[in-house]
Amino acid sequence: MTEVTLQSVVKRYGDVQVIHGVDLEVNAGEFCVFVGPSGCGKSTLLRMIAGLEETTEGKMHIGERDVTHMDAAKRGVAMVFQTYALYPHMTVRDNMAFGLKMSGVPKAEAEAKVAEAAKILKLDPFLDRKPKALSGGQRQRVAIGRAIVRAPDVFLFDEPLSNLDAELRVQMRLEIARLHKELSATMIYVTHDQVEAMTLADKIVVLRAGIVEQVGSPLDLYADPDNLFVAQFIGSPKTNILKGIVIGSEGDSLRVHLPQLADTELDVACGTHMEPGKDVCVGLRPQDFGPDGDVTIPVPVEVVESLGGVSYAYANLPGLEEPFCIEHRGRSRPEGSVIQARFTSATALLFDPESGKRIR
Amino acid sequence: MPALNIRQLLLNVLVVALVVAMLLPLFYMITMSFRTATEIAEAPLGLPDRLAWENYAQAFGGMNYVRAVINSVGITISVTVLTALLGSMAAFPLARNTSGFARIFILLVALGLATPNFVTITPIYVIFRDLGLLDTYLGIILAFTALNLPLAVFFYVGFIGAIPKDLVEAAKLDNCSDWQAFWYVVRPLLGPATATLSLFVMLMVWNDFTYPLLLLTDKDKFTVTISVYRFVGNQNIQPDMLFPAAVLGSLPLLILFAIFQRRIVAGVTAGAVK
Repeated sequence: MTEVTLQSVVKRYGDVQVIHGVDLEVNAGEFCVFVGPSGCGKSTLLRMIAGLEETTEGKMHIGERDVTHMDAAKRGVAMVFQTYALYPHMTVRDNMAFGLKMSGVPKAEAEAKVAEAAKILKLDPFLDRKPKALSGGQRQRVAIGRAIVRAPDVFLFDEPLSNLDAELRVQMRLEIARLHKELSATMIYVTHDQVEAMTLADKIVVLRAGIVEQVGSPLDLYADPDNLFVAQFIGSPKTNILKGIVIGSEGDSLRVHLPQLADTELDVACGTHMEPGKDVCVGLRPQDFGPDGDVTIPVPVEVVESLGGVSYAYANLPGLEEPFCIEHRGRSRPEGSVIQARFTSATALLFDPESGKRIR
Repeated sequence: MPALNIRQLLLNVLVVALVVAMLLPLFYMITMSFRTATEIAEAPLGLPDRLAWENYAQAFGGMNYVRAVINSVGITISVTVLTALLGSMAAFPLARNTSGFARIFILLVALGLATPNFVTITPIYVIFRDLGLLDTYLGIILAFTALNLPLAVFFYVGFIGAIPKDLVEAAKLDNCSDWQAFWYVVRPLLGPATATLSLFVMLMVWNDFTYPLLLLTDKDKFTVTISVYRFVGNQNIQPDMLFPAAVLGSLPLLILFAIFQRRIVAGVTAGAVK
């Protein structure tokens, strides 16, 4: 088990800077997930840790070793690629043993390691097949097996499940979680799928445009986002953001008027003193709506998305660019009618409309 | 749909005409090979009265057929292997490098493709004379390899460029050097491309006449094409020897193509798609 430390890490391609001074500590044995929208630099950062991209500035340590400019093969990392990157002309056995062969590991030892990894990943029956004779899930397992046999200090996963269908993705997600438990290795995982991030991670790193927006445990990020971006990125469906105006304060709470939400007024817990008349952004998670609460609002439902156990009702509110979404329990489909939705005002999140930063 | 039928008919006629135009010289070569010198002198385009198999026996001995085929096969295989190996090795870094230098280098290689072979004959002759490579197998193999390398590099750059770069990166993480990544991961994937390229190279080398004629003088080292040329003298031509020799000269390549036809077609199409 080894920790990974990044200190003010920068990546530039010519004049274009894509990673802006990232500081990060991934603890030994931790499952760390980089998440963010396309082009946010999460894969680049992972490839920099792997040694497949040069680090322009800053320092990178794996354990005690400074690996900033070290060769990829010497860093003690193994990577699972999105495309699996299996050698098509080799059998599963050869694919898994190739790295060991290149490192000069004796054949008998390599075979034993391959057999062990194949057992963990239930790949025994397929060892003599070529990758093209395997399903997507099996190929992904081989790619993971190839990483396991090398017993690396750090496992790197670059969107490993995005080429699989939905059912297989869930299955592989559980398998990766089981593997992490079994191996107790440090793992860094890149995904744009926040469900993967929430279910797998000990620690999530939210990235936007090469900048770390927030680092924390999945539930911390969900319950206590630092800014608008994280509040909207973590959680599905995403947080409703409404315009609010401070109309008064009392102790540790602010009274906020929501003109877009039927002129509702809320008391939101907030330690920051704000003058009446100040604009704020108010975040309300769809999941915070339910049968109980101190605030009731009328929601003219237009569309209901039923997921079986839970449904989401959408309404187009005047002045809002995106549909307003609330969780809806029960089997009814109230499309076309106005329902009275309730929520607890303490669950509302306040943000600065200019900087997007959370007001706590 | 009469309009379509007429179009189809015209197309068919055109195709048949093309096939006839292509097969006519072959037909002419084969029929002439079975006629005696007197028959040919009397009616140059006539058909044989009887099959003069003795022409073949004479040509077989006269052109030192077995020796010539062994020379041609040896030179063709050596050039094909060398061209495929050196071409793919040169193409690997060029295909992965996106810098301006690599692009200029590829353009230079393309220039090599555009240079007519005749332009290089004199310099090659002079250089080989100075290096003592005239009239050696090594000389002719080197000359043909150099002539075919631009095609090979250009060809492989495209093909290697289409191999996912993840594979090479995975090889790097698997402790491979650049050379090992090429040798163990990229090279084995070049099979279809190599099959197609080898076809072009083999045809060029087997059929080339100018370079062996210029670089080889020892009759024991002659390739098939210049062995056939023995029957063309300064003053006269021996048609009853020349035509059977031409048939004999084409035979090995025809047999090879007949055997590997399926694989060659597969190679050409794989090269086109992948």
